[in-house]
Amino acid sequence: MEKIELKRVKDFSLPSGVLSAAVSPDARKAVVGCLHGVFRLDLETGNHEYLYQHGSYVSSVAWLTGETVVTAGYDGELCWFDLASNAVVRRSKVHDFWSWDMAVSPDQNLIASVTGQYMAGGYKYEPQPEREPSIRILSAKDGELVRSLSHVPSVQAVAISPDNKLVAAGNLMGEVRIYDLVDGSLVSKWTTPAFTSWGIIKSHCYLGGIFSMKFSSEGDQLLLAGMGPMRDPMAGNGKQLWQRWKWDGKNPELLDQTHQGDAGEGLMETLALAPDSSHFLMGGRLRGGDWNAALFDHKTGYRIASVKTGYRITEAVYHPDGKHVLLAGAKRQPTKKKEGKFQDFGRVEVYAF
Amino acid sequence: MVDAYQRGVQVQPLTESLQLMKSNPFNSNRTANDRTCGSDEHTVHRRLFLQGAMTAGAASTGSFSGLFSIPALGEVTRQTGKKCILLWLCGAPSQFETWDPKPGTETGGPFHAISTDLPGVQISSLMPRCATIMEKLAVIRSMKTEPGEHFQGIDVLTRGDKPRPPFTRPILGSVIAQQLGQLDSPVPQFVLLDPCPEGNEFKQFKAGNWAGWLGAEYGPIRAGGDYSIPNIERVNEISEADHQDREALRQFLSRKFENDHRSEAAASHNAAFNRVNGLMSCAPLFDLNQLPEKDRQRYGGGAFAQHALQARHLIENGSTFVMVANGMPWDNHVFQHEMHQMLVPELDNVLYQLITDLEDRGMLQDTLVIAMGEFGRTPWLNEARGRDHYPKAWSLAMAGGGIRGGVVHGATDPLGFEVVDGKVDNRNLFATIFKALGVDPHQEYELPGLPTFHRVEDDAQPIQEILV
Repeated sequence: MEKIELKRVKDFSLPSGVLSAAVSPDARKAVVGCLHGVFRLDLETGNHEYLYQHGSYVSSVAWLTGETVVTAGYDGELCWFDLASNAVVRRSKVHDFWSWDMAVSPDQNLIASVTGQYMAGGYKYEPQPEREPSIRILSAKDGELVRSLSHVPSVQAVAISPDNKLVAAGNLMGEVRIYDLVDGSLVSKWTTPAFTSWGIIKSHCYLGGIFSMKFSSEGDQLLLAGMGPMRDPMAGNGKQLWQRWKWDGKNPELLDQTHQGDAGEGLMETLALAPDSSHFLMGGRLRGGDWNAALFDHKTGYRIASVKTGYRITEAVYHPDGKHVLLAGAKRQPTKKKEGKFQDFGRVEVYAF
Repeated sequence: MVDAYQRGVQVQPLTESLQLMKSNPFNSNRTANDRTCGSDEHTVHRRLFLQGAMTAGAASTGSFSGLFSIPALGEVTRQTGKKCILLWLCGAPSQFETWDPKPGTETGGPFHAISTDLPGVQISSLMPRCATIMEKLAVIRSMKTEPGEHFQGIDVLTRGDKPRPPFTRPILGSVIAQQLGQLDSPVPQFVLLDPCPEGNEFKQFKAGNWAGWLGAEYGPIRAGGDYSIPNIERVNEISEADHQDREALRQFLSRKFENDHRSEAAASHNAAFNRVNGLMSCAPLFDLNQLPEKDRQRYGGGAFAQHALQARHLIENGSTFVMVANGMPWDNHVFQHEMHQMLVPELDNVLYQLITDLEDRGMLQDTLVIAMGEFGRTPWLNEARGRDHYPKAWSLAMAGGGIRGGVVHGATDPLGFEVVDGKVDNRNLFATIFKALGVDPHQEYELPGLPTFHRVEDDAQPIQEILV
């Protein structure tokens, strides 16, 4: 398998840690969601401009048609923003708890947002049933609620299929549910406990889960990312883990996963599939090992490129040309002010390959 | 000086355990006042208990329900001397996500602050239930301590001070059990409820010497989860008379050995045996399934919540100090917000249920409830979006016995980096706890071969603002 070199071509900092990002169709700018607000970032110059704030952290950003973006936050809101007029178009409260993740359908008609607060339901901290629908489907055009779907909290990752007909959502316990967006029926459901941890030491509770998911270009397979189990759920030292599942059948089948010797330790928070589906990128935090973002061949699962960024990656986005990828994340928050302000700790980089 | 209680004890022929104490070389170091809290109320209760024990001496105590079917004994055992429940939030919770939120600031985190029933006081939005009972709580927002690592922090915040080798300062529960406990009660006076067998630094701590110089009889009985108490099933194949004969023989031989050899090991063994013997009679207290289902649901399903309910039950039925821990789940270097979104609401509900429960049962006035960890968490987020250890400015809460509710003591700066008002350290805290429980905080001890020390060193003063 031919190795690829990832070459950093842009390196920008932002005032706040980045949790999410979207790249414009012309790849000249990005909108990034941070701990403390939403920013527009010029990918040529690195100039950034504060746009607006959610009531809490901004967990997701997606680019809609033209100059409109939509963001989701830990305040449970979706916010539509028009970049041309620099104005909030609409705010919609869709969850009582956080929006952990949001996805927009390829035809840009639907938005899926997932939520769920993990609350102790049993002696060993089995999750309580959901107290609100874990999956909300909204019209991207007007924000109207289209459908509410059920899952077990907390639901931390969501994806919409390439044909715009299915939504997949993954949770804390490694349970995946795929629903038909047209009639709301449950199409498939399985659990892959490799992504969750129950603490043998320190705490008898669950932690981890599926943190990112993407459909394959044909829609019959699903890529999942997160972290392998740990004895200590708080250590963050589980294996850097992806899995590829074929779900289009009665018995979902695990086709491939992180190869032996390919991974170190750390929570993987983001997946991105190349426009031509030839490879995918997984990124996150490095706890032990030599990379925290890596390209994998989609068919064989071989690692073909990797980088160690020195900060926690929370978002990976391919440019439309398929030859660049944006990585975003955060370093440690500064521990003191200098000249009356905290130094930047958000990071955005662009890599070419 | 010998107080009334001690005179009472000394004339009781059946108080063998106190006679045993006199022969224990460890106990010979105790000062007179060290054996009692000195409060009139408690003196009366203990004397009544002993009188009740004499009255009931011939009755069977083969089962817990049998024990309390004896009216005089049951009544006195349930009497409300000062008691304490410590919700030990091991691993150290974040003050930002509990008692000292900084909404809208760089350090505030993702959760909002909400108003409470105290005008102008806000706490984390993760604590809506506690927000309605703040008039019963005393919150300290100005804790400033030294240790920044768990083991040392746990040691200081459960014993009250740093180690002073070779002296091992007894843990709070041991002190309270010794000071306020009913020594002849079959109900364990100091109970640790913790289902997590491991827990890194807390595991080391749990394996250590809890009672220090007080002696093994003041160490905790441990229960919860995998720690069901073993060997407390009473053998049914032999008669009650045979049980009593065997026990008399065991006591005679072991005490003779202990006295002849001045054996600490034998003393510890005897203490353990006596406790197991007592446990046989109160095993139902440790069976969660015997608690009303509606209460169990009200407290919540997790182990911490269930054990908080069990703590109330134990206190109600004669225990003096119950420490409720759950491993060390609060140590969220990596999944700070993901864990706190679960842990804090559980704590919120547990505190609410426990305090309202104690109040409804007329027990709050005499039961001190403390919710604290070994330090706080950093204002800043680390690279993993977690919060690290931070002893410089953190929070805790107390309620009930001896504590004035509706008080928020101290303050931190707008970003939570420093204490700016009302600094409280571990000594001030322990002086407050002892004072609230009616125990002399500044009791002086004289241990042969060791420097003089005090229950709380350097005459550190309690926080008068939060004392009744």
